[in-house]
Amino acid sequence: MKRAITLAAIVLGIVLIVVAIVYWVEPAKSLPGFFPGEDSHSTTHHVKHGIAAFLVGLALLAFAWFYSAPKKTKPAA
Amino acid sequence: MISYWQAIVLGLLQGVSELFPISSLGHSVILAQLLGWNISANSNFFLTFLVGTHFATALVLLGFFWTDWVRIVKGLGRSLRDREIADPDARLAWLLIVATIPAGILGLTLEHKLRSVFTSATSASIFLMLNGVMLYGAELLRRRAPTDEAGDPDARIAERVGWPQTGAIGAAQSVALIPGFSRSGAAMGGGLLVGLSNIDAARFAFLLATPIIFAAAVLKLPDLFGSTGDGVRGQTFVGAICSAVTAYLAVRFLMRFFHTNRLTPFAIYCLVAGFASLLYFVS
Repeated sequence: MKRAITLAAIVLGIVLIVVAIVYWVEPAKSLPGFFPGEDSHSTTHHVKHGIAAFLVGLALLAFAWFYSAPKKTKPAA
Repeated sequence: MISYWQAIVLGLLQGVSELFPISSLGHSVILAQLLGWNISANSNFFLTFLVGTHFATALVLLGFFWTDWVRIVKGLGRSLRDREIADPDARLAWLLIVATIPAGILGLTLEHKLRSVFTSATSASIFLMLNGVMLYGAELLRRRAPTDEAGDPDARIAERVGWPQTGAIGAAQSVALIPGFSRSGAAMGGGLLVGLSNIDAARFAFLLATPIIFAAAVLKLPDLFGSTGDGVRGQTFVGAICSAVTAYLAVRFLMRFFHTNRLTPFAIYCLVAGFASLLYFVS
């Protein structure tokens, strides 16, 4: 279970970072139809959407990093 | 456009009201209307001007809490290296990150919409009164104020603030996107509700403010140096210096004030100032 959650967080984190890059490099008219902010007549870049996706992606990767850490045993007193 | 005189007044006001829990944006909107200045909170030149004053305020906060930030960044590095959050500095670093994420996302998505809806001085007056109610409510609803606080304040904050609570405090800061509500007021009020003392709540609010104000300013820096900054760059520079001076005095004052005082005087001020300006604008 722990492995599956870690894997899901990593995959989702990477996907969101890729989504962020797409938002930054593609104008609104070239975004895939299922992306929020897609507008076939607009040439603006949704920079803020990209930043939001990037932040959440980083947060998921950080979660996976800590969640998958091996348990440390405290030395006996 | 904005004159140098207006830039000085608004810069001085911005530095104080950004850190006092009384809404900087609300005060800018109300003051501009009271003085008959043709400055809209939604106009490009005003937003560009705010970039400079916000950047200056963030620099002052960073400098004032420099030793805290060095410890926080080192704690963050240690926690990433060891893959555990083992000490108060590391915990405080992650508390700030967890609080900044919802604040950042809500700010990015709602800023333009909220600012374009609530631009009038009348609505800012009403929200300033509600800000007073929020501050007073936080003082009323707080748990018993901790006494005999000794030791490291950052460690106390890290111990008392939980993960869901820091997320909620971070999200609550977004209320400041509405002119009249205060970001630092929301953060301080949230800090009180989770059991921090006034001084620790203020410290947590100022630490939380630094990355958010920096990020908002950096995001809009291209506006200042692009075509929208034409004709307002000099005024922005002057306003930023004025803002830095008053922000430094404000944070110094508040860190002493909250040792022995509460949010109540600010709540009363917001209620009275909001009510008086509302009466003026509707009459």
